[in-house]
Order: sequence, then C-alpha cells, then structure tokens
Amino acid sequence: MNIYKKWFWPLVMPSLLLFAMVILYPFIMGMVNSFLAWRGTYYFDPETGTRATNMANSFVGLDNYKEAFRDKRFVSSLVYTVKYTFIAVIMVNVAALALALMVTKITRSSGLYRTIFFLPNMLGGLALGFIWQFIFQIIFTDMLFSPDALHIPFFRYMTQDSTKALFALALLNTWQYAGYMMIIYVAGLNNISSDYYEAASIDGSSYWHSFFKITIPMLMPSFTIVFFMTLANSFKLLDQNVALTDGEFGTRMLAMQILRTIKDTSPPNYGKAQAQAVIFFVLVAVITLTQVAITKKKELEM
Amino acid sequence: MKELSMVTSMNESYFLKKKIQKVVLYIVLSLIALYTLAPLWLLLVNSFKDQAQIIASPLGLPANVSLAYITKAAGEIHFLKALLTTSVITSLSVLLIVVVSSLAAWMMVRNKGRASQLVFMLFVAAMLIPFQAVMYPLIQFFDDIRLKSAGGLILMYGGFGLSMSVFLYHGFVKGVPKGVEEAATIDGCSIAQMYLHVVMPLLKSITVTVIVLNSMWIWNDYLLPFLVIGNSSTKTLVLELYFARITAGQFGNPWQLIFPAVLISIIPIIIVYLFLQKFIVKGISDGAIKS
Repeated sequence: MNIYKKWFWPLVMPSLLLFAMVILYPFIMGMVNSFLAWRGTYYFDPETGTRATNMANSFVGLDNYKEAFRDKRFVSSLVYTVKYTFIAVIMVNVAALALALMVTKITRSSGLYRTIFFLPNMLGGLALGFIWQFIFQIIFTDMLFSPDALHIPFFRYMTQDSTKALFALALLNTWQYAGYMMIIYVAGLNNISSDYYEAASIDGSSYWHSFFKITIPMLMPSFTIVFFMTLANSFKLLDQNVALTDGEFGTRMLAMQILRTIKDTSPPNYGKAQAQAVIFFVLVAVITLTQVAITKKKELEM
Repeated sequence: MKELSMVTSMNESYFLKKKIQKVVLYIVLSLIALYTLAPLWLLLVNSFKDQAQIIASPLGLPANVSLAYITKAAGEIHFLKALLTTSVITSLSVLLIVVVSSLAAWMMVRNKGRASQLVFMLFVAAMLIPFQAVMYPLIQFFDDIRLKSAGGLILMYGGFGLSMSVFLYHGFVKGVPKGVEEAATIDGCSIAQMYLHVVMPLLKSITVTVIVLNSMWIWNDYLLPFLVIGNSSTKTLVLELYFARITAGQFGNPWQLIFPAVLISIIPIIIVYLFLQKFIVKGISDGAIKS
C-alpha cells in the first residue's frame, strides 16, 4: 500500500537519529579512540609531548591494548569476572528452576509465593548491595556464623576476601534474580502439556524419571533464554560489585575496571580504558552470538 | 493384575504420601519466602534505630519507634526532589522509547523492502554492544553538543532502550493483520489517526511489556546518571543514595543513615509493584518468550 511507503522514512527517522547519536557514532568513535592517546577532553601527541593538533598525530597503534594486557588489574578483573559468571550462572539457574518446579506444583497461594520471590528484582542493585553488605559484615560475621553460633569461618568476613567475595556476590545475585528467572521457567513449564505426564504415569514412570525424560527436554527453550540472560547479566555486573566491595581486596570485575581505569592514572588514560571496553565488547559479542547460534540450532531441531 | 484390597491400600498410602509431600512443599516454600523477605525485614526494623542499637540487636524490633532517622535520611538524600527527578526522567524516557520504537517497528513490518530489513538488522545487531563499549565517547559527544544534562539523559535512555523495544514490537506487529488498517485508510483515516486509534490499541499488551522492562532498569540505573549528571544538584534517587553512602561512609559504615535512606528510596517501587504486579510479571514472561 502506498501510504506505508510514503511514511516509512519520516516515521523510522526518529529512531534512526536517536540510534545514530547514542549508539552508532559513539561506538565508531570508541573503536577509533582505542588506537589513539585519548585523554578524554583532548588527544595527546606522544611525539611532541603536548596536545595533538589533529587526531592522526595521536595515533599509537596497539599500545592501548598492550598496556591493558600488561595491567595486572585488568587481567585479574577479567579472570575474576569469568570465575564469578561461572558460579553465578549455576547458582541462579538451579535456584530458579527449583523455585519454578515448586510453585507450579501447588495451587493454593501459588501467586503469593511468586510475588514474594519476584520482589527483589524490582529493587536496584546498589540499594540491595548496601543491605547485603550489612548482612555479610554484621549478621553473618558477628551472629550466625560466629564462634558462639554455627562457627563456619568461610561465611565470616566474606566481603574482605577475594574468593569469599565471589560467593558473597553470587549469593546476593541469586537472591535477587532467581525470582525473575523463575517466572521464565514457570512460563516454560506451563507450556508442557499434562498429557505427557499422564501417559508417563500410566506407564509407571516415577517423578524423577518423568523429570529427566519429559520436563528437562521440553524445557530446553527456557533453558536457552535463562542461561544466556544470566550469562550476559553476570558478565556485565556492576552495581552490586560497587555496593558490596567497591572492588577492594581484588574483587574488581570488568565493568568496574573500565569505569575506574580513568581514575587509576593522572592524566586519565581514556585510550586505555576504551581499549578495555573494546575487548569487553568482543567478549560480550562472542557470548551473545554463541547464544544466537545455539538457539537457531535448537529451533531447527524442533 | 493385583488384588482389589491391595489396590485400595496402595491408594490410601499413595494419597497419604501425596499429602505429606504437599505439606513438606509448603514448609520449604515458606522458608524460602522468609529468606527472601529477611533482608527487607532487616531494612525495615533498622530504619528506626540508632547505630549502637543496630549493631547490638540487628534483628529485633526498635526499642521505641522514632521517625527521626527517616526524616534525617530524607533530608540527606533530598528525597522529594530526587523522587520527582527520577519519576520525570523515567517516564519521559519510557514515553520516548514507546513512541519512537512502535512507530519504527510498525513501518518496518508494513514495508518489506531492503531498506526496512537493513534498518531492522542494524537495531538487532546493536543488541551485541554493551554499554561500556560506548560510554566514554557518548559522554564526550553529549558534552560537546551541550547535552550532558538531565535532558540529554532522557535521549540516551531513548537510544539504549530502542533496540530491544523495536525488536519486541516488530515481533508483535507481524502477528497483527493489515486488514483493519486497510479498512481505516479506505474510510479516509490519516496516518496519525491510524497510529493512535487503530495500531496502538492493538499493541496494548506488548506496550505493557516494553514499559515494564524499560522502567525497571531506568529507574534503578546507577551508571548512566553517575556519568552524565554526577554529583550535581539535581540527582536521581540511586545517585543520591550512592553519594550519601560515599560522603557518610568515610569513617566506617553509618548504618543509621544507610538503612532509612535505602528504605525510603525503595518504598515507591514496592508500592508500584504491589499494585501492578500482575502486569509486571506478565510483562516479564511475555518479553522473555518473545525474545
């Protein structure tokens, strides 16, 4: 129809303009700046030791990238992020699936439980991080797990040790996100026809047998969504990291490392921060593209 | 075949087993619910105590209910002003996202040309880009064009919310038949009338999803306001909270300020959640299924 053709560009244009301003142009500039001695408000000329008169004089090749990989803080934040992601993805998924299986098993008050489990998602990571800091520092350390009570040293001073803090962060995020992911699993579980279970129980299949032979395979699409949502969220985690430990005791994750690089040196090294951001982009893109590939493959199989 | 009496006794024990399982299930769920609510309980009771009392008995009810700490915290984080700022920024950003992305998605679905496909691919591809990859050049650029302000913040949220929203609308519009729109054109409907009276009413349920998903992250976002408005006089709630914590926390943790400040900053969302939770939960689960 003619009317759609006539109005295509005028109505798509606002979104394209916003997109160009907020994402496309900054993204291209980011790529360019990662090869320059960028100081934020100006470009530095390494040859003259002063401000560069044009951007080309500020070109430093791969120096920013080399510097990033030589920086112990960057490398350790990369390792820390990978470790955290591994732990958090498992914990959130197991908790969310368990919650979903339980709330779909009951009829009375099922809605109330879902409302409660989802509640922490509505709140910001910063606010929750502050509350959990209190829980780890006072409740865990001085009360629950102190020598007078349960006496489990692992759960004491969790925010002051790099390895323990990994689990502290994972505990906080499981508490916060399990309810969200539960909702997605519940939607998946509701899509499985009860006919399968009835047929299986007539054949004498036990609960766990049905669980592994019916529930798990039929839930694959939900697994894909939840798995990669938690993967991407954990990899990009920032607020909780800031609120809980602020990167102290070697607990800096990648997102915070990129944010704090400009404060690590004076004058601020934006070029190096941007190189880290580009590496971060590549890693996130690889994760997301793998997801797309797997999802596509799954859809084809069905 | 088994004997009849055996079947009956098996049935009885079967039902008893089922009943016990159900009771155990409710107990486990209730314990997890308590665990989920415990941190919020801590937040509530400790917002009415002084530092010494918080440390001495973190779980107990306050000795005497005094609003002194809440009032002090409200002043410290400029509660009403910050609430207004956050509400205005969030609602305008979400409005911008809804209008711009629904228009774009609608036109892209109705025009099946190469340009339309290319634009759609561009939006989808942009979902690969994490915020960190663009943040420094973005802030620099908005500073250059004198938009490093609350107004600029709304534009930025508009841009960041776009990809996912266009994607969600695109998927939904594909399922809406063209017939009604064609009938409307024949009746002499203008494009604006068609959008407002024909298309948008049909997109109501996906619009709820788009509003829920975007408001949740924009309201609670820390990083973008931190980079754009920072420690200026007009701050969002999350930023006020962050700076209150930083300023007061130089000498240990001032829990008598943090607890009430966190409490009042999350009360608005909890109220909204209790009223709209059906829409919110539905929005989340629809969004996940579609993407």
